[in-house]
Order: sequence, then C-alpha cells, then structure tokens
Amino acid sequence: MRVLLASSFVPFVRGGGRFIVDWLERKLVDYGHEVEKFYLPFNEHAASLLDNLLSYRLMDLSNHADRLIAIRPPAHSLIHPNKVVWFIHHIRGYYDLADTEHASVPSSADGRALCAALKRHDTMGLREARAVFTNSEVVRERLMKFNGIGSEVLYPPLLAPDRFRCEDANDEIVSVCRVEGHKRQDLLVRAMEFVRTPVKLRICGASSNLAYEKQLKKLVEDKGLQDKVQLDLGWISEDIKIEHVSRCLASAYVPLDEDSYGYPTLEAAAALKPTLTTYDAGGTLEFIRHGENGLVTAPIPRAIAEGFDRLFGERQKTAAMGRAACETIGRLNITWDHVIDRLLA
Amino acid sequence: MKVLIVNNAVPFIWGGAEELAVNLDQQLNALKGVESEILRIPFAWEPKERIASEIILNRNLGIVNADRVIALKFPAYLVQHDRKTIWLLHQFRQAYDLLDAGRSLLARGQDDGIIDAVTRADNACFDAAQWVFANSPVTRDRLQRYNGRKSEVLYPPLNDPDLFEPGPYGDYIFAGGRVGESKRQHLLVEAARLAGNDCRLVVAGPPGSQADADLLRELVGKYGLQDRVTLQLRMHSRKEIADLARHALACAYIPFDEDSLGYVTMEAAASGRAIVTTTDSGGLLEIVKDRKSGFVCSPDAASLATAFDRLFADRALARQLGAAARDLWTSKKIDWPTTLERLLA
Repeated sequence: MRVLLASSFVPFVRGGGRFIVDWLERKLVDYGHEVEKFYLPFNEHAASLLDNLLSYRLMDLSNHADRLIAIRPPAHSLIHPNKVVWFIHHIRGYYDLADTEHASVPSSADGRALCAALKRHDTMGLREARAVFTNSEVVRERLMKFNGIGSEVLYPPLLAPDRFRCEDANDEIVSVCRVEGHKRQDLLVRAMEFVRTPVKLRICGASSNLAYEKQLKKLVEDKGLQDKVQLDLGWISEDIKIEHVSRCLASAYVPLDEDSYGYPTLEAAAALKPTLTTYDAGGTLEFIRHGENGLVTAPIPRAIAEGFDRLFGERQKTAAMGRAACETIGRLNITWDHVIDRLLA
Repeated sequence: MKVLIVNNAVPFIWGGAEELAVNLDQQLNALKGVESEILRIPFAWEPKERIASEIILNRNLGIVNADRVIALKFPAYLVQHDRKTIWLLHQFRQAYDLLDAGRSLLARGQDDGIIDAVTRADNACFDAAQWVFANSPVTRDRLQRYNGRKSEVLYPPLNDPDLFEPGPYGDYIFAGGRVGESKRQHLLVEAARLAGNDCRLVVAGPPGSQADADLLRELVGKYGLQDRVTLQLRMHSRKEIADLARHALACAYIPFDEDSLGYVTMEAAASGRAIVTTTDSGGLLEIVKDRKSGFVCSPDAASLATAFDRLFADRALARQLGAAARDLWTSKKIDWPTTLERLLA
C-alpha cells in the first residue's frame, strides 16, 4: 500500500512523540509498503492556534496515497478519504489542563471560546477518520469524555525488542528516561534513604531542565547517598542503555499521571525485568499489575524503598515477575504485526 | 544556531531540490554550533483553484524555535519568519514564464485572479525576506523580470566533490546525465558516427522513457556503431559516474537551453576534463569557454564531430583544456564552505 504518515512537530524538539512516527515508518517499509512521512509544524500558542489549524485543514493530500495515518495533533485535522488516526494525546493545555498552571489560554471568556473551538475542530477531524486508535486506555477514555469519540487501544511497540537481553540480575534498580520534574526521579532518589538492603539505584537520562538535575545531585549529596545512587545524567547510547537494562535487578518508572505505559516499561519487559511504579503514574498501570509483573506502590519514598527492598530480597520472585512482564507484551498485543494489521485494515 | 530548511513536497516524488535540501542539511549539521532540520510542506496545485489556499496555508504555518529559515521553493518560501533567507530554486513558473510560453495550466483573462494572487504573495515575500539568493542567472533574471525583485546568484555546489578528483586521461568521451530529448544525446551519437576511427563515446544515464532509450539503440544499430558507442542506459551510483568522468578523455553535454550550470558540467570540470557543448546549451557557457575549457560548437553533428576529432588527435590539447576547465571551476568557489558562509551571513 502507499501510505502517508503525518504528524506534528516543533522544530528541533526530539523525543517520544517522534519515536512512534519514525518507528512506524521503518516498520511499514519492512512490511513492504511505500511510505511518505511528513512532520508539520505546530505550536500551542493561543495567538496563532486558529491560523495553524487552518493551515492543516487547507492542505490537500487526498490524491496521493491509499491511506493517511495521522498521529500527533493536530495531524488528525488533515483531510483524506482514507484517514486513520493513532491518537496519542490531546493538546491538554486547552482541555483538562486549561484551568491549571499548565493552561495554554488565560482563564477568560476568550480563552474558553478558544478551547471550545479547538474541541469542535478536533471532534470534526476525528469524526472524518475511518478508524481511530489510541496508545492507551487513559487516552481512549479522554477521547470519549472530551470529544465523544470511540476508539480502539493500539499499544505502541519498541522498534527492536530483540536487542534487549536478559542477563543475571545485579544489585541495581535502573531508571532510564528523560530526567524531568514530572518523571519524578527525585522520588526514587529520596527512597534510597530508607532502603535496608544493599540495593542500589542508577538514574540514566538526558534532561532539558538544569534546575531539576541540580536538585537531584543535591539530594544525593545532602542525604549522603553517593554509594547507593549513581547519576548518569546526559544522553546515553542505545547500546549502553541496553546493557544497563539487561543486567538490572528491576526497572523503576514513576511519572506523574502519564498518558501511557511508557517505553521504559516496555524496554524492561523486553529484557525480562519487572518495573516498579506508583499508583498515580497513570498509563503504567495498564501494563504493570502488582505482584505479577512488577510492583505498584504509594508515591512516597518509604513505600518505594520497601518495594526496592522486596525486589532485592526476593530475587527468585523478582525474576519470575520479569518473565511475566515479557509475557505481558504478547498478551496486550504490543507487536508490529498487530499494529500494522489494525492501521491498514 | 538552529536553521530550518523549508521546501515544498509532492508525496512520493524525489528530485534535485530534495537532494539539495538533504545535502544542505548534512552540511549545516556538520558546522560547529549549527543544528539543522528540514521541513517539507505538501504542495498540490491542481485544481488551479487551490492555489490561493496554498498561499494562505503556507503563510499561516507558524514557525517557532528556529533562529534562521532557509526556504527554497514556492509556496513553502511564504512561511513567515523574521530571519528568512530565500535560496530560490523555483517560483511558480505557471504564473510567469510558462504562462508567456503558453505552457501553463493558467490562462490570462480567466485566471487573472490566481496570477495576481501569486504575484502579490511573491512580491511581499521577497520584500520581507532578509536575504534573497537565486540558484542561477536564469532564475535571478526571471525574478527581476516578473517581480522586479533583486537576488544574488548562488549556485548549488557538487554534493560529493571528493569523488571527482582528476584521473589519468582515457580514450572515450563521456556523456553523462539523464537521457532524453532535451538533453540531445542522439546528436552526440550522430557526431560519433561522423568522427574518425579513434572516436569512442560512452553515454551513461537513466533514460526519461523507453522511447528515449530505443532511439539511441536504434541509431547505434542502424550505423553499426557498436565498436564506438557504449550505451549504459540506467541509474548509476555516484562512484560509477565519478569513475566514468575522471577517466574520460573529455566530456560532452549538450542540453537545450539549460537553466543552470548543470551537475554534469560541474562534475566534468571538477574532474579536469574538457567539455564539448553547443552554442545553445544555456547556463553551461559560464564554465565552458570555446578553446579555453572545452569546445562550444554549433548544434549539429558535423560540428560536434570536428571537436571530437580534435581531442582524439591531440591528447595534449585535451589535457590542457581539461586542466583549464578545473581551474575555472575552482576559481568560481562553488563549494559548500563558501555557500554556507553566504547563506548564514
């Protein structure tokens, strides 16, 4: 099939939102399809929002491919007779975060009118699709609640899960993800003050938030955790990441109210390692079930510390949970076979 | 410094401008302190009533997080940015010179509204841009003639100059480039027929159509030129082309009224080979000077045959003209370091 893949981007900002698009492109080609990918600019500034949306609506891609797959908003606004949407998140600054500090609009009549306009616009674009998929239950529920649109959950797989191996577990709990406030690496560091076993913590990841990085370093220093906590702050290569994950005792991933389970959870599972998460982490709970393929604790340092100690103290059980995590991948159909089958149906 | 390269795009079509954008991106990313990315904006100009929408959508696409924009073609160059460089490869010629030549989808009278919209949009855009370059004197002159706007000529360099180092002089004339009617390789084959017994000609390039390939093969067959003329009518790798150019006695390139210098010309000159061309070949004459860096013949087989004979009879002349071609080429400083310096001034 000839497939157009369209998504939005902010120039020079790279990250999770691009992996799903780039990996899908590669996989579609592997499966024998012809693909053309477009990243179209979009920013959330209120002053230019309607102009930007208009640009998307005015584009004409209808003559060019058998199917259009639209991913990051507002790509679902594009017009095509065979449009399929893989919806990954709302522009939340205009939805559920519109009344919070993360709002993209002022709390005023104008602001509310803009939110209403975006909602109408999103709903219209989504209604035109022949199928709508979401990357998690969390997003599926929001899509119904905010836009009245039904959708099917389609979990995004790793590009190359086979690259992750399972080695004998060392003493480390590993955290590999972007180092940002809402990923809450500080919770993990704080937990290490209360562990009673010789378990260790390694935090890996690049950050765009220098202040948060400093905060983590200061925490380690102030609490005297230098022997227990390793901070590898900065970009690490895929190979090194695979090494750390393949050899760890378990992974820890505790973002606040995340949209989906996150690639870190999946990477650990591919390496047959369980993940510790918290009950307020959002989408991770669609993957992790307490005691089965990982642990779910309260989002406070002492509870997390207990979880770390348990993972360390009960190694056999930890390894078993790791194997179960790997089986979860298949059980939830987090495979490219399934994804491409559904997107091109 | 973040530099966003902006180009239009037709899904599943990939040509010289796309190659140039990719090479410009690579060159910019190799510069210290510079990060570059390519934005490709889908462009559909049929039905012609769409053209006004295209103008609006491109003007409205907000560009954030880029320090500079380098835009190449209509209508993508209409994107607004306060530090925009236009490196003009293409205006919408259907509204300008193709219209005058009666080869446009637009017609004067009934489509005056569209023609007017394009002209106004262009005029305003070129006024607002900080820097305006054109890829050839022809492009520059068209912009002056139709829009009254000035630009500086900035030729796109060879993307892989290291491949084209001069080699020992061989015993064939190399005719590279796409094979087709406007490139007139059939005239070169006719010339080989009229030339003396020493003459050897290698025609290597992808045929535009089966008919183009058949024509050359028929000529070779009809005149029994199998010993003199080698036809390699297919895509070649860059290394294959470079090897053919670098080891030729001389090169021949006789397109009708080419807009620009022509990559074939640049490759020949870089390889230190004399170039045989015709009086009506257009932009090549900037590099090919009669009896200084090659031969400029009248566009007929006899005249070309005379030039071939001279080269085969006097190899010292072939070397001398070839060396002069390379000197003239390098003196023009059409290279990436110079080009980047001018683009980022």
